[in-house]
Amino acid sequence: MAGTELGFGPGAEIAARSPLELFWRRLRDDRVALAGAAFIVLLVLAAVLAPLLVKLVGTTGPNVQNPSELDSFGTPTGPSGAHPFGVDQLGRDLFARVLYGARVSLEVAIIATALSVAIGVVTGMIAGYFRGLVDTGLSRLVDVLLAFPILLLGIGLASACSLGNGCAGGLIKPGLSVVIFVIAFVNWTYIYRIIRGQVLSLREKEFVDAARSLGASDRRILFREILPNLVAPIIVYSTLVIPQNVLFEAALSFLGVGVQPPNASWGAMLADATQIFDSAWWYMVFPGTALLLTVLAFNLLGDGLHDALNPRAGKWSPRGK
Amino acid sequence: MTKKALTVLLALAFGALALLVASCGSSSSQSAQKGGTLKVLDTAGGVDSLDPGYWYYQTDYQELGDTTQRWLYGWKPRETKPTPDLAEALPEVSNGDRTYTVKIKPGIKYSPPLQNRTVKAADVKYALERCFLPQVGNGYANVYYGDIEGVKAYQDGKAKDISGIETPDDTTLVINTTKPVGVLATGGALGMPCSIPVPKDYAQKYDEGKQSTYGEHQVFTGPYMIENDGKGKITGYKTGRKLTLVRNPSWDAKTDFKPANFDRIEIKGGNDATVAARQTLTGRDLLSGDYAAPPTPVLKQALSSRKDQIEVESSGGNRYISLNTTVKPLDNVNVRRAISAVIDRTALRQTRGGPTLGTPATHFLPIGIAGFEDAGGEKGPGFDFSSKPTANVPLAMDYMKKAGYKSGKYDGPPILTIADNESPAKETAQAFQSQVAKIGLKLQYREVPHATMLSKFCQVPKSNTAICPNLGWGADFFSAQSFIDPLFSGKNIVQSGNVNSAEVNDPALNRKIDKAKQITDPKAAAKAWGDLDKQITNQAYFIPWLWDNNVGLRSKNAVGVSSLFNSGSWDYAFSGLK
Repeated sequence: MAGTELGFGPGAEIAARSPLELFWRRLRDDRVALAGAAFIVLLVLAAVLAPLLVKLVGTTGPNVQNPSELDSFGTPTGPSGAHPFGVDQLGRDLFARVLYGARVSLEVAIIATALSVAIGVVTGMIAGYFRGLVDTGLSRLVDVLLAFPILLLGIGLASACSLGNGCAGGLIKPGLSVVIFVIAFVNWTYIYRIIRGQVLSLREKEFVDAARSLGASDRRILFREILPNLVAPIIVYSTLVIPQNVLFEAALSFLGVGVQPPNASWGAMLADATQIFDSAWWYMVFPGTALLLTVLAFNLLGDGLHDALNPRAGKWSPRGK
Repeated sequence: MTKKALTVLLALAFGALALLVASCGSSSSQSAQKGGTLKVLDTAGGVDSLDPGYWYYQTDYQELGDTTQRWLYGWKPRETKPTPDLAEALPEVSNGDRTYTVKIKPGIKYSPPLQNRTVKAADVKYALERCFLPQVGNGYANVYYGDIEGVKAYQDGKAKDISGIETPDDTTLVINTTKPVGVLATGGALGMPCSIPVPKDYAQKYDEGKQSTYGEHQVFTGPYMIENDGKGKITGYKTGRKLTLVRNPSWDAKTDFKPANFDRIEIKGGNDATVAARQTLTGRDLLSGDYAAPPTPVLKQALSSRKDQIEVESSGGNRYISLNTTVKPLDNVNVRRAISAVIDRTALRQTRGGPTLGTPATHFLPIGIAGFEDAGGEKGPGFDFSSKPTANVPLAMDYMKKAGYKSGKYDGPPILTIADNESPAKETAQAFQSQVAKIGLKLQYREVPHATMLSKFCQVPKSNTAICPNLGWGADFFSAQSFIDPLFSGKNIVQSGNVNSAEVNDPALNRKIDKAKQITDPKAAAKAWGDLDKQITNQAYFIPWLWDNNVGLRSKNAVGVSSLFNSGSWDYAFSGLK
């Protein structure tokens, strides 16, 4: 997209910059955001290559129980050469579990975010563009959902779907899919509100009028004219909602309704760690630090993206604070 | 035993199980002085009920049963045979083992407001009768007293009293049964709180309505009473918060075998387990309360620096993994044996805190129960799949091959397994999960709250739950019957509250159990129950993996005496301060 057609000719010193270029220049100067991005890349690599890393470090897999690493009371031993992060109360290597926990966290965060963004964008566009009854209906529904105590709703849904064959005819099965569903179900409302607001103002713009007067269908206007203008808020919002979802997954697993054992999850590890914190600090410190850094990295990157994409707008947060 | 009774028993046993705690070790009966105030910090809910007709669990016995009431037969802390308390002597058996006569000590008085009334045989009769009332909620009456003549008519409302319990005079109680009842002959079943006298003329008004309120107005016969206003209203109790016991002015030490050293016992509920355990060890005047063992970190510290303040005692209970024989592939005895062989009992025990918490089990009946030695003692009956405390994977694979799995590994669909979601039970279940993976068993594994585990899955045949790894059982009066009859007799399978979670229904086994229940000679009974234990162990319906210990804690200046009868927990009526 770089370059220009305005006739300054090759070698001209002044060149118009494309939006992407501008965005990249601004982001490049934001060291904090770049650090966040670097951490995320590392984390994704670590999660993808978890089996390899575990082998490299030479520890046992995430679900291998080594009773010999427990003392005679069954309390775990701390960091050592064989287990750099120590072991948990079943003798499982914590380094491996933290790595595999990253897999769960990222998986949940990305799928749930994609789902909630998809739902939020589609419903937000419909409500903002058509207004009237559709808008009223959808917006009231969202108001109702927002009024729910989210965590309680999550716990309720998750426990209802955690038994037997799950709910919705087996579509929502106990374990990861419940967590993903709960998060998507709760979180689409925030993006709905943002997208709806944007569409409400975009639909009055001249280019939309122009398209309409050329006889474009509603569908075309929505997806060809309006949607491209929503890319920036969607990207920024997604990056900012991922850490929320990571935390939400951790919270649900902490409460025992999330990821099912023996699968590793940072939240579940923290829950187990609280009971033996005074004798096994490493059990809480390592998963806790991983969770902290992940959430922090996504938030920093999200802020950076927001500034870079939308330099004139003030700060905003997805929860509308 | 009727179905209803079974259900109750079930609930009861699980309650006892949940509280299982106790211990090993000997009583530290140094010089306990008279006087002083005992303080106790509870962490669970404390007592379940104030009503003696309801008491069935460890904490009920520990905090109220031992201290505030006298039973027909009591239990000295270190003895496994009942000691006559209200009774003069053990029951006289006559009429072809179907009549049991008990003489009652004269002149024992109730606490205010009935301080002038003596205990009469009729009070014990009413106490036994009210245990059958639904509003009392007793958990074992049908199990032990169900064969008394006239019980059915009384329960159906056709009779005003139980015709088989007679009181020819104020100090004589005669019980007639329809067939010999072993547990009445030994006095064991009369050493239960249903034998605590309840004066009918005073109590009946409280026993009306949906739920009896006699507990809040009861009169006491023991060395202590719950603090009250002297007019029959209890003031020293707030559910789960506090329970205050003071001396009972009507109690006469000369007629009782309990020393009752303390002047006052103050029990405070709702404490954090770690805090309560630490405070008990480092504070003054404290004995541990309603928990079976302190959290592992506290236990570990205490064992290294305060060893003499810990009392470890066999609890007379066990922990087991139940395998539902009606669900594939567990219907195959060789699959069950394979699971038994692949279990690492020592590793399971580590999830609870290691060797202090018990002995790896080789058969079902626990240490201290009559029949334990007959079933092979600690060494066990000698089956290769249950005799080792650690895993034997090749043997397990052999059994899988015998069961028709050519590779020695299971290759079918996942098996529904329901575990408890609280520590340390969930760690035990997760260790089990990884152990059985060695023979290819894939589990559809769920963790749910303890109550849900029982009421929706493990005790409900319709749920088709295949494996319950977090079950256990506690004993009543050292009786093997209380272990085997409810858990393995096919007659006891019910639709809810089913404790026969393996759904064992073998007619030959059922007949053998019925026969054993009628044996009145203790030695012959122990042998019969021991044989039954061997048989069920060989069938691997349940995989017992731990004979539990109770771990009691005491302050430096407290002298604790633990009770074998009550799962090895402290007996406050025998303990004291230095």
